[in-house]
Amino acid sequence: MPDVQPTNDLREGLGEQSQSYWQKAWIRFRRHPFSRWAGGVLLLLYVLALFADFVGPYPEAKSFRKLQFVPPTAVHFKTEDGRWTRPYVCKVERTRNPRTFKLEFNENCEKKYTVHFFVHGYPYKFLGFIPMDLHLMGGPWLTEEEAYLFLWGTDDFGRDLFSRIWFGARISLTIGILASIIALILGITFGSISGFYAGQAVHIVRGVFRPPQKRAEEAGDPQAQLHNGFFSGGALAEGWREARRDRRLPAFLLGLVLQYAFWFAAMTVVWTTMQGFLSITQGVERYLAFAVFGGLLAAMAWMVLFGRLAVDVDDLIMRTTEILAAIPGLFLLIILSGMLAQYDLPSSTRFLLVLAILAFVGWGGLARNIRGFVLQLREMEYAQAARALGAGDARILFRHIVPGTLGYLIVVVSLAIPGYILAESGLSFLGLGIQDPSSSWGLLLSKAQQGGMVALKSRPWLFLPGFFIFVSILAYNYLGDALRDALDPRAEH
Amino acid sequence: MTAYILRRFLHLIPTFLGATFLAFLVIQLAPGDFITRLELDPSYDRSQIENFRRLFGLDQPFTVQYAKWLSGFLKGYLGLSLSYQTDVWSVLKPRILNSMVLVVASVLFIYVVSIPIGIYSALRQYSWGDRFWTTFAFFGLAVPNFFFALLMLYFALWLKDIVGHEVFPIGGMRSLYIDGADFFEAPKWKQWLNILWHAVLPVIVAGTAGTAGLMRVMRTQMLETKMQDYVRTARAKGLAERVVIYKHILRNAVIPIVASIGFLLPELFGGAGFVEIVMAWPGLTPLILDAIFSIDVYIIMGSISISVVLLMIGNLLSDLLLAWVDPRIRYR
Repeated sequence: MPDVQPTNDLREGLGEQSQSYWQKAWIRFRRHPFSRWAGGVLLLLYVLALFADFVGPYPEAKSFRKLQFVPPTAVHFKTEDGRWTRPYVCKVERTRNPRTFKLEFNENCEKKYTVHFFVHGYPYKFLGFIPMDLHLMGGPWLTEEEAYLFLWGTDDFGRDLFSRIWFGARISLTIGILASIIALILGITFGSISGFYAGQAVHIVRGVFRPPQKRAEEAGDPQAQLHNGFFSGGALAEGWREARRDRRLPAFLLGLVLQYAFWFAAMTVVWTTMQGFLSITQGVERYLAFAVFGGLLAAMAWMVLFGRLAVDVDDLIMRTTEILAAIPGLFLLIILSGMLAQYDLPSSTRFLLVLAILAFVGWGGLARNIRGFVLQLREMEYAQAARALGAGDARILFRHIVPGTLGYLIVVVSLAIPGYILAESGLSFLGLGIQDPSSSWGLLLSKAQQGGMVALKSRPWLFLPGFFIFVSILAYNYLGDALRDALDPRAEH
Repeated sequence: MTAYILRRFLHLIPTFLGATFLAFLVIQLAPGDFITRLELDPSYDRSQIENFRRLFGLDQPFTVQYAKWLSGFLKGYLGLSLSYQTDVWSVLKPRILNSMVLVVASVLFIYVVSIPIGIYSALRQYSWGDRFWTTFAFFGLAVPNFFFALLMLYFALWLKDIVGHEVFPIGGMRSLYIDGADFFEAPKWKQWLNILWHAVLPVIVAGTAGTAGLMRVMRTQMLETKMQDYVRTARAKGLAERVVIYKHILRNAVIPIVASIGFLLPELFGGAGFVEIVMAWPGLTPLILDAIFSIDVYIIMGSISISVVLLMIGNLLSDLLLAWVDPRIRYR
């Protein structure tokens, strides 16, 4: 019998399924010590955010004007004589201390209010359209406002912090994902265009007439008539002929309209700027400005009339990202949202605005990285093969090249999300992001520093939103770390 | 090399123009301007307000304002602060100096703490010490600056209640009195000591994320260099472990960190961020925030343009430093 064993082993070895890149990545991901914890915590937070109406006993904007900064309601599990019982709460009463004149909240346990689970409470619309009134905790006393259930205290408007944290989670946790998706779309679009068309010049202006400095061609050349013509020798006519030859006239005409619109607008701006500037300056500055603006206008006019200017799209996009990167990120974020925060906007618009700002500040770096990848991948054999088979640019780009960057993109997104969460909560903390009555963790945390240093000490429950920011960023960082180890085979050590 | 530096410098010009113009454009997004607030004040009449506008050039199209600002900037003049009614540099300078105390101290803190720990972590990979510091790094990177600052304030208040007097100051940059006398009458060293005492908690807050980040970079760098062939060769030819670590591994591992020193330049003049707001440190960040709310254009533009210039120079410096410390890199 023993001589049968090895052949069996061999057969098993032969039948073993090979593992794909993603299967291996999944195994590596699960091997990471904290990936499961991080994933679990995030899943829990997202589920709680989704069911915020159900989990929180109060609606998001429900406020009790007389119950500002109430400390967390104590939930009792034992009666006064020490027997275990169903959890109950006591009524909280507001009194003013006759000696210190401070507001104090005292429990009045004459009547006990039992906390029921899965009870009917304040009505809400689940997912925005399903009317429901089921809540995780509460009781009839809660909606009748006989007693209150503030598990984590209240804020400056007497709103239940426990409920608001879950409502805030909706914004704080989704804004990171959405912002990174938008930044990713921008980054992929511009980065792949930049990398794919690197080295190809695009005309941004074609002069109408034949440049005077161009030497006339000999009469013997059959094309001489064409090239020596005042109009037909210009860059514009040349482009027209090329476009007709390549059968892309509509694109050419559209480009032409855009070009001339741009140059017309630019010249108008320079002209009005010159006029305004000259009217408020005198002396040397005036002459210098006259020379600079005049030179600029003359150069632009020359370009439109006789010149030809072609730039690399790659250069254009990369210079734009460089400009974005030249302003420190936090700075740009703060001035952008600071300026826009001064408008009176509904909360949904404000959410979109914060989202747009975050994505706008973040796309440049992504585009640069994706460009690097695309530059490498477009030289790969499979990309060349696709071109040889006659695939169009868009098909090569989005079917062959961009999927090659997928592993990298997943890692980048998972590492970018915590950054966006941090940025959003920072902005909201400063009052530049999400604003009342909406809630976000940063905004909720900003209540902790209201009322100065003494208040800070006496209201520790207002620190809770900060812990949630911390925990979610920590979980995302761990997740991103695990994903990077899993998806980037080079980082295996 | 000279040609490379020259070309990089020429590249800086359009980037600077673009970045400052973008910033100017962003400021125009705000509703109204600095004077709009005065319009609500009944004690000013229309003609006075128009006069103010003309005085500050706010009646001109914004491109003209930008050109005017730019021509001033080229002459070394940052413009007039609208709310402080003096020139911008004299408003910015004391705030930048205040911030610099925090930034310099936290940068020192970051480098002194994180590099040895990073080395230790890499040399004793997966030991309990390494695990502790890795966890610490994750925590340090995850804790929001403003939240950590609030926790520190809470800690200081708690300590005060326990001990009975202020072990750490609660916010601010200096005490009003030193030993019963006015702050400014005390000897210089006592003033500095007082400021440093106030800086302890803010520096810890401002430095934690940086420490955590640098620690991880250092560790990864060390681990990566440890695997290199030349390290194995060094060991094989019988060099002492100490020499291998310090001459072969460490020297190669710190290259990117040395090169990143250039990035510190804009940080030094850029304010310490949220800490200054939460801990009431009279630095650049609160000033900028106030300027944003009152649309004090030239304060914002002044601080942005300084940051932009320093950031660009810092990047260039980093690239040059990298070429200098790492002879494998050549620039054309």
